[in-house]
Amino acid sequence: MKQPVKYAFAAISLVLLTGFGRAGPQEPEIETNLKAAFLYNFTKYIDWQLSPDETTFVIGVVGPSDIDGALKEIARTGTVNNRRIVIRRLDRLDQLGSCQLLFISRRCRFRLADILAKVGKGEITVAEAKNAARNGTGFNFILVGDKLKFEANTKALNSSGLRISSQLLKLAIIVK
Amino acid sequence: MNFLTNISIRNKLVLIQVLTSVLVLGLFATIFIVRQINDFKTRKALDIGSIAGVIAQNSISPLQFQDADAEMKMLNDVETVSPDINFISVMDRDRNDFAVLGKEKADSDDYSTYRNSVGTFFTDNDLIVVRSIDNGGETIGKVYLEVRLTELTRMKVHMLRLATALALLAVLAAFLISIGMQSYISSRLLALVRVMRRVGDTGDYRASIRDEGSDEISVLVKGFQRLLEQIRENERRKDEFIGVASHELKTPLTNVKGYLEILNTLEDREPQREIVERAFANAGKLEKLIADLLDVSKIQTGQLELNLTDFDMDELIRDSIASTRMLAKDRSITQMVRVECTVRADRQRIEQVLLNLLSNAVKYSPEGNPIEVNAVVSGDEITVEVADYGPGVPGGEETAIFGRFYRARGISQHISGFGLGLYICRDIVNRHRGRIWVRNRPDGASFFFRMPVKGPT
Repeated sequence: MKQPVKYAFAAISLVLLTGFGRAGPQEPEIETNLKAAFLYNFTKYIDWQLSPDETTFVIGVVGPSDIDGALKEIARTGTVNNRRIVIRRLDRLDQLGSCQLLFISRRCRFRLADILAKVGKGEITVAEAKNAARNGTGFNFILVGDKLKFEANTKALNSSGLRISSQLLKLAIIVK
Repeated sequence: MNFLTNISIRNKLVLIQVLTSVLVLGLFATIFIVRQINDFKTRKALDIGSIAGVIAQNSISPLQFQDADAEMKMLNDVETVSPDINFISVMDRDRNDFAVLGKEKADSDDYSTYRNSVGTFFTDNDLIVVRSIDNGGETIGKVYLEVRLTELTRMKVHMLRLATALALLAVLAAFLISIGMQSYISSRLLALVRVMRRVGDTGDYRASIRDEGSDEISVLVKGFQRLLEQIRENERRKDEFIGVASHELKTPLTNVKGYLEILNTLEDREPQREIVERAFANAGKLEKLIADLLDVSKIQTGQLELNLTDFDMDELIRDSIASTRMLAKDRSITQMVRVECTVRADRQRIEQVLLNLLSNAVKYSPEGNPIEVNAVVSGDEITVEVADYGPGVPGGEETAIFGRFYRARGISQHISGFGLGLYICRDIVNRHRGRIWVRNRPDGASFFFRMPVKGPT
């Protein structure tokens, strides 16, 4: 079994079994791990149209979050389209636009509009803040009851120019 | 097999045909039903297998994103399009239930038995398909489907009914056809059997049977026909011999008897005279035997003719008793009742019958026992009875004793004769359109003959 998948499912199972995953002021580690697993799973449902000279798949994390630890754990063995996964922490706005998947932390100090302005084609943004998808991110993690779900903004996803699998979209809460 | 030996050819043929038909039909029906059932199972397994495949494919993302609601929605959609699915369970990689539909209808024993396996299983009532959910070469869960096979049960019942109805129809058809066909085979055999039986009972070898054809039955019929011809030929030769022999014997015997008679009148010395007397008596016996043989010969060749006259039966009885007394001087022979009846018949032949019955009574009953003669007229018929007080006729031989050359077993060994007397009597009485029979009494035997008073016409 591939290590990151195992990791992701271990996290998911734990969430389900213990009833964790409930959001709180201090985000529990388990929720962070679950989000990391979801992020990795997103990559499987998106046709990334990577060019041959792109030898790595970059997941960027903007704003303070513990998710990069969990993501690095996944990246140790996981691949996307047979490419190594690189986790990049982005601290400045001018660093944006250089990754395939961008995770915007809830505690990010930049304005969302500023971030989105920097995001180009072939890039998918995932946030974890209220109304983030409505405001233009591709995906946005939300808690419905005690379950981690995600919203999808089809307009934003379309503007990325990438094709998203209906298998993924059918699970998403579509917002406009 | 004894049972088969004892039932008739006709029933054997019917039985064989019906059994064969039932066997063949049963075999084909079984093959057909088993095939139908197997086809149905294969089809159903394929159908449900492909549904399981679709569920597995569509369960990958809900499993990956732990979206049980989306999974349930999908399962509900599946149930809508395949209402015969009883129970669906999607398990995660640790075989925990992820989404379950119709749990209350599930066979929990089957679920616990098969949930850990992968494949297609048929239980008594259910079809169970368990399939792994794979993503990128990895198993991330399992889908378990249970389908109640009510349709199969219905199909089985329907086929069983159909097979039973067909079997009954086949039995009936086979029975009717075989009834029709067996008559072709059995009727010829039965005709042969009838003729054989008649020949056996009556000894009339003139019987004839015809069968056109060249199968085994025809061979049998022709064989029997040839046998009859040979018997007839042998009979004819024997009768011819008896006729010639008795005739040839009669002429010199008449001479011998005539010379003895003359010698008897000439001889008055003892013991020569007694010797001549005995020789004369024995020549008389010999003459009687030859006369019997001649009669038989006449009967066989149809030359025995009746010379009808009117005569007094009482007188005939009296004369016969008198003649018998000459031979058995010490026996008491009595006519019990007089009938006072004039009968139209061949007097000489009827006397022959009566003398024969009386001489039998003398021969077969112990000395000293009386012999009685009775006659009675009822309507147009006269019945004459000769009753003795002897051992009676052995059981089962009451008809056979009237046969040609028949000598009653056990009691005839020390009594001389050809066994022709009763045969000739029967023929004479029959020619008078009468009947002769014997009845045993507790103390002896009674011989009866009955014939029309006004002659045989």
